[in-house]
Amino acid sequence: MSKITGTTKVITGNHAVSYGALLSRVQVISAYPITPQTQIVEELSEFVADGVLPARFINVESEHSAMSACIGASAAGARAFTATSSQGLALMHEMLHWAAGSRLPIVLANVNRAMAPPWNIWTDQTDSLSQRDTGWLQVYCESNQEVLDSVIFSFKISEQVLLPSMLVLDAFVLSHTYEPVEIYPQQRVDEFLPPYDPKFTLRPSEEGTMGGLSAPDTYFEFRYKIQQAMEKAIALLPKEGELFGEILGRRYGLVEEFLLEDADTVLVTSGALTSTAKFAVHRLRQEKKKKVGVLKMRYFRPFPFETVRKILKGRKRVAVLDRNLSFGHGGIWSSEIKSALYPLKDRPPVYGYVLGLGGRDVTPKDILEIISDAEHRDELDMPEIIWKGVKK
Amino acid sequence: MNTGKSKVIRYKGAHDLPDLAFSTGTTLAGKTSGWRNLRPVLMEKSGPCIGACPANVPIPHYITALRQGNMDEAVRIILTRNPFPSITGRVCPHYCEVGCNRKRLDEAVSIRAIERFMGDYALEKKGAPPGKETGKTVGIVGSGPAGLTAAYYLRKLGHTVVVYERSQIPGGVLREGIPAYRLPPMIVDKEIESLKRMGILFQLGVEVGNGRHPVDALMKQHNAVFFAIGAHQEQEMKIPGEDLFISGLRFLEEVAHGRREPPGERVAVIGGGNVAMDVARTLLRLGATPTILYRRTEKEMPALQEELKRAREDGIEFLFLTTPVSAEKVYNWIVLKMVKMQLGEKDKSGRPRPVPVPGSEYELHFDAVIKAVGEYPDTSIFPSEALNEKGWLIVNKNTGATPVRGLFAGGDLVDGPSTVVEAIAWGRKSAFAIDAFFRGETVAGEEKLPKTVPYKAINFDYFLQTPGHKQLEIPVAKRIHTYLQEEVGGLTFQEVLAEASRCFSCGHCNACGNCWLFCPDAAIDWTDNAPLINYDFCKGCGICAVECPRSVITLVEEVPGRAGGKDV
Repeated sequence: MSKITGTTKVITGNHAVSYGALLSRVQVISAYPITPQTQIVEELSEFVADGVLPARFINVESEHSAMSACIGASAAGARAFTATSSQGLALMHEMLHWAAGSRLPIVLANVNRAMAPPWNIWTDQTDSLSQRDTGWLQVYCESNQEVLDSVIFSFKISEQVLLPSMLVLDAFVLSHTYEPVEIYPQQRVDEFLPPYDPKFTLRPSEEGTMGGLSAPDTYFEFRYKIQQAMEKAIALLPKEGELFGEILGRRYGLVEEFLLEDADTVLVTSGALTSTAKFAVHRLRQEKKKKVGVLKMRYFRPFPFETVRKILKGRKRVAVLDRNLSFGHGGIWSSEIKSALYPLKDRPPVYGYVLGLGGRDVTPKDILEIISDAEHRDELDMPEIIWKGVKK
Repeated sequence: MNTGKSKVIRYKGAHDLPDLAFSTGTTLAGKTSGWRNLRPVLMEKSGPCIGACPANVPIPHYITALRQGNMDEAVRIILTRNPFPSITGRVCPHYCEVGCNRKRLDEAVSIRAIERFMGDYALEKKGAPPGKETGKTVGIVGSGPAGLTAAYYLRKLGHTVVVYERSQIPGGVLREGIPAYRLPPMIVDKEIESLKRMGILFQLGVEVGNGRHPVDALMKQHNAVFFAIGAHQEQEMKIPGEDLFISGLRFLEEVAHGRREPPGERVAVIGGGNVAMDVARTLLRLGATPTILYRRTEKEMPALQEELKRAREDGIEFLFLTTPVSAEKVYNWIVLKMVKMQLGEKDKSGRPRPVPVPGSEYELHFDAVIKAVGEYPDTSIFPSEALNEKGWLIVNKNTGATPVRGLFAGGDLVDGPSTVVEAIAWGRKSAFAIDAFFRGETVAGEEKLPKTVPYKAINFDYFLQTPGHKQLEIPVAKRIHTYLQEEVGGLTFQEVLAEASRCFSCGHCNACGNCWLFCPDAAIDWTDNAPLINYDFCKGCGICAVECPRSVITLVEEVPGRAGGKDV
């Protein structure tokens, strides 16, 4: 154990997930392998087989069963973890609702991969974003370090608000790319993340039922309480992010601001794409002295309305980069940003760019072109979708 | 169980509502069986092996006990149907393996090899005398497999049993008919020793029916007598010079008693049955060169396939479609006048009748000729009221009873030449019939076996292709020089266990636990290492019936109004 933790290793995003679960002392893992998530499960199963991680690894025949097993384990009071991607997440859908409705603090790592057909294994956010209304917290990661941190962090938040968390990382760009990652000493993680102390548990020796019938006279209130929990999370997240920084050295907020102080043009990004945007913005500032900055969205649910409004209020323009698409509507992040800004009196124009679907490469040149496009756009020229890079 | 702990709580609003719908009662309160329109039933069935075995040995049952590590229980189960597994484990034509469902996956389970191991294991363990004596005495005439089996079961039932044997060595055909290289005499001796330990008495050198030991005297001496004297009369060929031929049965008997000289160097064996095979193979082992003469073709030979195959492997010469029409002695030779045959219309045995080819006569010269053209029972010692117009005993096939009160008969004496296991079946059913007779009852016959499991009812997804374990054999080149050494070896204990694990256990629950594992409603109770269906919660989805690999669980239609009860 001492050789595994308390060091910096050069590892993939997938293994960062596995180390995050290891450091979180998960007790039950049930997962079904799927490209590009498989290495997460492989590493964890090795941890368990080697006795490094004293957890139960439950083999299942599908993602639906993987989530069901996690639900059972979590209901019995165990810290439960799973990982999946794309079609696997879609197959879990029914159980995602069940986990949230049962108020079980399960943590799931989803490797963003495009939905089929046609088959495509590369990065695309539509798989996770289309689980929007299941009652899960969703956090999008930019680097392998943030991936590891988000596993630990997600358990901390979930176990306080009693809702499950999904941390999201890009296929291959993070999942299969090696980066240096600090794997904290276990006792420091323990200091941040105490053991799970469940409120309600099912035990074979005791009578009890979870999630039985709830008639119209109570069902509504149970939904209301889930929303309350989400709002509680919004308040809790920055505090816990500070605490994480104090104990483990990296501070996290609901969003991350990059060169925003004086920025007229703000790029709104999420996931690994953020690094490309940061690179382009940094160069633009140095070479052309343009006032541009990046707002990196970390949490999608709960959505940080207030934070977003505070940051974007009074800017000249906002360009949202969406590596996803809600058919018949537009980029999902852009519609969320637009709805967040609606109550503001002097709201900036929001230009929604849909790009990079199915893992198509997004280069710094693309980012510069987007910024240029946004700068030259008429204020009211806001189509629902501005396609970037599609071969029409 | 719903202990009435649940109570209804009224909540004013979200502030006093728990985070999730949680009840301290259980779902057991809601009996879900009312949804059911199909009912799974634990219904033990019969493996094809059981029905195929003339003695109906419950093979999957003893194999299950063996796999669970309970050797003694496995032996106990075998002995309920067959007291001599060490013998049948060697010489039985293993009808059980023919219909084995495993053949649809790879090859049949080597049941006979397992049985042989269990039989050898049991040899020293058997022989406990019965708990109490009934005071009834039974005379058993003949110490072949039918007689010894009847003796075993009658003695177990507490009766006094005396076995009368014409020869000085008990065992009948086991000792004097089956050659030593197939069944070592030591095995038969040990089986007889165990019978003696049970308290069974043997009167050797007593030929019942001759002047000194008349049948009616024996009938007066015992409360019942069971005749199992076999079929020892050689069929007549009715050709000139037949008196020059040696009887096949007599020859085997003499070898069993120590004769090691063949009757000549070149010896003809006439016939195509098991005795002909045994005679020819024995001759070869004594240094002679046998030639089998058979009037039909290989396809019509009545010998067991296995025996024929071994005779072929031994390199014995076969002449088909030919038969002697006369024999005469010329110098030291016997000259057979032969005629070639062709196959004609089917006769009453269903085989084509051999018809002589006109003008095809030729001669063959031999040093000796042994005749093994079939045997029939000698019934001359029985009172006439026990015989039919053809001179065969009138016998109830279910009980062995004859028209003479207290006189029972079975085995080859009734059927003509057949197998050891059939003789064992005769001995067992007659023993229970005699016991019933003592109580003034009659038995209707064997209990009917449950439905046989067809291969289509097996869930093959649960079984991997695994080839069977082969018994070691003495190489052909060596075995043809030794009469006494057993030619087929046994499996090791490890091999027996591995072979046992190939058994599907068709129709017999071996507590695999699949039903318990798969039931989505947790409606299988697992008690005493066996499943029990809880009909309060079973919704009749049928998953257990599908996932039962061995067709123990059957879905039947639910009778309306019966749902919810525990009755089946």
